[in-house]
Amino acid sequence: MISCKIKLLEDAAIEARGLGRRYGNVWGLRNATFSVEKGELVVLVGPNGAGKTTTIRILTTNLRPSRGRARVLGFDIVREYREVRRRIAYMPQEFIVGWDHTPFEVVAWGLVARGWPIGDAKAQARRWLELVGLWEERNRPLRTLSGGQRRRATVAAVLATEADVIFLDEPTVGLDVEVRHVVWRAIRETVAGGASILLTTHDMGEAETIGDRVVLINEGVTVAEGKPYDLVKELPYEYRIVVGKFDGLEEYGEYIDLGDRAVIYARSYGEAVRLVEELASHAPIYMIGRVGLEDAYLRLVRGHVEAGAGDSVPRVQVG
Amino acid sequence: MWRQVLGIAYLESRWVRRQPLWLVQGLVGTIGFTIIIYVWGSLNALRNLILAYVVAGAWGLGLNIVAQTIGWDRQNRRLEHLVASPVTLPAYFLGVVLGCSPFLVTEVLPALAIALLLGLDPFPLLALIPVAALALLLGAFLSLSILLRIRNPTNISAITNPLYTFTITLPPVYYPLIILPPPMRLPALAVPTVALMEAARWLTGYAPTACEPAWTLASLATWMTITALIVARRFKWGLE
Repeated sequence: MISCKIKLLEDAAIEARGLGRRYGNVWGLRNATFSVEKGELVVLVGPNGAGKTTTIRILTTNLRPSRGRARVLGFDIVREYREVRRRIAYMPQEFIVGWDHTPFEVVAWGLVARGWPIGDAKAQARRWLELVGLWEERNRPLRTLSGGQRRRATVAAVLATEADVIFLDEPTVGLDVEVRHVVWRAIRETVAGGASILLTTHDMGEAETIGDRVVLINEGVTVAEGKPYDLVKELPYEYRIVVGKFDGLEEYGEYIDLGDRAVIYARSYGEAVRLVEELASHAPIYMIGRVGLEDAYLRLVRGHVEAGAGDSVPRVQVG
Repeated sequence: MWRQVLGIAYLESRWVRRQPLWLVQGLVGTIGFTIIIYVWGSLNALRNLILAYVVAGAWGLGLNIVAQTIGWDRQNRRLEHLVASPVTLPAYFLGVVLGCSPFLVTEVLPALAIALLLGLDPFPLLALIPVAALALLLGAFLSLSILLRIRNPTNISAITNPLYTFTITLPPVYYPLIILPPPMRLPALAVPTVALMEAARWLTGYAPTACEPAWTLASLATWMTITALIVARRFKWGLE
């Protein structure tokens, strides 16, 4: 076990240093180091099995770290877990807050369980159910609602807590575009109200739209951290072209293989125009656009894999 | 803490209140069974039945309903959600018990009311309160000590329902221990429900006991210690 004698920032909402967790002989998380400032929304991204959920479960005091240290609002997550629990709320992955309950019950009585007076809890439930567009459905059992409505009720139950630090593990997975926007609005309003949020997602569009900063974790190690725009700016390319795959595509530079299609990158607008003209003579062009966080993510993850993941992998700090 | 208990109890009782016919079924069954036993066995049989109702009811509440609720809360990650909140383990447990208690109330209260109407001395019944509390705790601990060892139980009730039948129907719970041949009585006390019933008979004086109270207490203390240790080891309120 590596001893971790790193001074933690006391004024951050979340401060993790060298966090690791071992399951038997396997390290589910090896070295998570990042911070979340107060009033900031940080998005934790990474491939499946990278250690995102393990990180969140440690920070929510559900799991004990095997190594490293972390503080939430200045409180040590192991030694001062009671203080941490008083100030946080957590929506686990795939968690639905009830089945036979109504949206009003799960929000209002969930708040009572956290110590809210019943009257205040009911008023808060009304406010949040209106915000997520569920007030009309407030008395219908969750089992009779759609998946999106159930997810909105769950998000409302967690955000309505007014906890100082909120953890959301893939809160929008499987939601349609409109419902996702309702949830994003609720999340951003919570951040605007002063809460700090750590959210995980596989949706890079979500990360770059609602995240103040992004932390990339891969094979149990945090490998990059920065504002979405800054991470994208670090790419050596500006444009991406989705084209039908054909023999000889590799002559046009780096590309991502998508079976019968490929994504090919251009460094400038001029190069993109030239590439489109040339590629169009070989295969159909499906899409042309600017590079985004997904491209930065792929580059960082692939670079990490090529470099060989480990505790000593260099971190990319951007912005 | 009372608000935490109240909040959890309300949320956990929702499925009970959504299915009121289950409560009606319990109520009608209890009334009918009480009348049948009184008609065929008079007041003496009714005394035994009251004891068995309280012990079996509290045992069933702990073993089946409370443990099932906790098991499902663990399965669907509700416990993770609650750990990361001000809710404490005692508040959660009390809330679950309180939320599930309508089942016990509908089974025990009618039987007690009928017994009192038929002239049963009510004061010894107060002694059943600690026995019921112990039965509930021991039932929950026994069930949890098995459930928590299973990684992904697909059907928790498939474990808890047979466990209830094995501990309530076959051993001397609804019939007195003293009916068994003398060599079998002491070994029978190793079954926790039999020991609980002996404790109930001893404390209320409603029916004759078959063994020394010390053996009964020893059996209960052993069960309580073993199951509590297993649950304490397996059931972590966070920081696993």
